[in-house]
Amino acid sequence: MSFLRLQGLVKRFGDFVAVDDVSLEVEKGEFVSLLGPSGCGKTTTLQMIAGFEEPSEGRIYIDGKDITGVKASQRGIGIVFQSYALFPHMSVFQNVSFGLEMRKVAEAERKARVMETLDLVHLGDFAHRFPRELSGGQQQRVALARALVIKPEVLLLDEPLSALDAKIREDMQIELRGIQRTVGTTTILVTHDQSEALSMSDRVAVMNEGRLVQVDMPYQAYEFPETPFVSSFLGKSNKFSGVVSGQSNGKLKVKVGELEFEAEAGRGPCEGPVHLSVRPEKLLLTAPAEGRFTGRVHTRIFLGNHWVYQIDSPFGPLLASHHNAGIQSVAEGEEVGLTWAVEELRVLAPEAGDG
Amino acid sequence: MAEAIARGKLIPPYLLSTPALLLYCALLLTPMLMTFLLSFNSFDLYTGIKPDYSLANYLEVIQDKYFHVIFLRTFGMALVVTLICALLGAPEAYILNRMANPWKSLFLLAVLGPLLISVVVRTLGWALLFGKEGAINQTLMGLGLVDEPVKLIFTSTGVVIALVHVLVPFMVISVWASLQKLDPATERAGLSLGASQFTVLRRVVVPQVMPGVLSGSLIVFALTASAFATPAILGGRRLKVVATTAYDEYLNTLNWPLGAAIAILLLVANVIIITSYNRVIEKKYAEAFG
Ligand SMILES: Nc1ncnc2c1ncn2[C@@H]1O[C@H](COP(=O)(O)OP(=O)(O)OP(=O)(O)O)[C@@H](O)[C@H]1O
Ligand SMILES: [Mg+2]
Repeated sequence: MSFLRLQGLVKRFGDFVAVDDVSLEVEKGEFVSLLGPSGCGKTTTLQMIAGFEEPSEGRIYIDGKDITGVKASQRGIGIVFQSYALFPHMSVFQNVSFGLEMRKVAEAERKARVMETLDLVHLGDFAHRFPRELSGGQQQRVALARALVIKPEVLLLDEPLSALDAKIREDMQIELRGIQRTVGTTTILVTHDQSEALSMSDRVAVMNEGRLVQVDMPYQAYEFPETPFVSSFLGKSNKFSGVVSGQSNGKLKVKVGELEFEAEAGRGPCEGPVHLSVRPEKLLLTAPAEGRFTGRVHTRIFLGNHWVYQIDSPFGPLLASHHNAGIQSVAEGEEVGLTWAVEELRVLAPEAGDG
Repeated sequence: MAEAIARGKLIPPYLLSTPALLLYCALLLTPMLMTFLLSFNSFDLYTGIKPDYSLANYLEVIQDKYFHVIFLRTFGMALVVTLICALLGAPEAYILNRMANPWKSLFLLAVLGPLLISVVVRTLGWALLFGKEGAINQTLMGLGLVDEPVKLIFTSTGVVIALVHVLVPFMVISVWASLQKLDPATERAGLSLGASQFTVLRRVVVPQVMPGVLSGSLIVFALTASAFATPAILGGRRLKVVATTAYDEYLNTLNWPLGAAIAILLLVANVIIITSYNRVIEKKYAEAFG
């Protein structure tokens, strides 16, 4: 049985539905990312788990116990806030020690546990500093230590890395994941950064407009998105709209304009209008005669380890991205053939209001 | 060249502030300097002010019990008013800050509104309420809570009540300002760590708004110590404070030099108390708040 269970959570602010029927099961020790665009209800969902917002409908269970009506201070959940929310008038040590004081932990043990946790986040030497004397990354780690020291059953992280610059952020992602593995706390991370979600979590839960759209392992979610929204939110993708025109041996035939493509019938729909999607790294450039259709390279961008091409095609602009394998790449303005392996073409249901 | 530019950039600000500086000098420093000089002159009942210089006026104030009582009463009252303002104003600001908007603005206006009315008018209002036949006593006696009228007018209690009413908005504004800097997430963080609402208030909120309470206290203390209209109207002839004493020396006894000395002593005492208080606080909060 799952450790943390959200059951049909709904949150309304007046007429506005911020969170709409969210159900999610998280295993003990699992790291799940809640991913979605700004305003999709991630923070609101987290606040309901933490006990700061009351769900309009639905229930929350931890380890089989219904905690929906339990006060925030009684839930024993660790939270790292987006703004860190460190106590500015307390030293790093006092910040981390606060939760233990509230639990009436004896002084000797308290000291030992605070220092142990500070060492875990590599801040052992900073115990006597005040928050404003720390860098953003260090403050973030204090916030993490403060949440972890109480040995919470569930750890909630609300965009803890969004205030950091790119380089520290990558380091912190690795560090955070490492710490979470060591401690083994069931963790939910809220983020709107897809690469953060993909790289850190056991599973990603993609949200849009208050609803959970897809919950899957990162690789699965990226490779087999269930909706065009997931496909474009997790990484980039080239999209075509078409109509299923036939089916044989588990393969679909999809008519897109004048052309017809084959695709594997997978999780998507098997008839009617559909969306086709190909990841830029799966869109191959060939000699003009060898492609499924041709296009012209509009722009070519060199990014060190790979090239990105923007290609004008009969279906509008397409993106292709390829490893820098040391071979001279095609030049801008050149005509190229475009193709893909049959199994890389995804068939998705068209989304309401988007082609 | 860089230096020239730097200097060139510095001159306009000085030039621009010159008119204000001149006005400031003319209207504030000049009378203060004249008061200061006047305080060393001597005074004779028949011949008036004599242009000689001595410390006699200061010695008189420092040695006379009569003045000691007045100074102690003034600063004691300032202390009490400051404490009450802190105890009332800080929670008031906190509650106001948590209110939802139509009410928030309305109540804020109600708190700050009195600042728009002249102190004299407000104090006369209190005098009407406090009197033997005033609304307060009539209510109390009507309810049977007291048998004879409570004496409020011409007592320190009355003066303190009226001063608190006049000065509490300054405390509210000052605490309000520091509440704006308080991250509401720190309260939630406290709760999530297992603290009760009350513990969060005591250990997370209060320490963070303390700088606001302390600077509000400075303002209230200084304004009470030098308050004139309220003690003059509600304190009457006998319950004198330093400011009303100086006034009496000027206008009743016509002993301007003695009045000047009292005024200067009040100023010096105020400055000493406030700067030392400030120094203590700065030391205490320098580490956490910079
Ligand atoms: N107290 C509130 N009253 C009314 N609407 C609210 C309230 N809190 C949140 N909302 C609305 O609910 C929606 C979801 O908000 P939420 O903060 O959960 O978004 P989010 O997914 O965390 O976004 P972001 O990535 O920008 O933090 C938003 O449209 C927001 O305007
Ligand atoms: Mg958010």
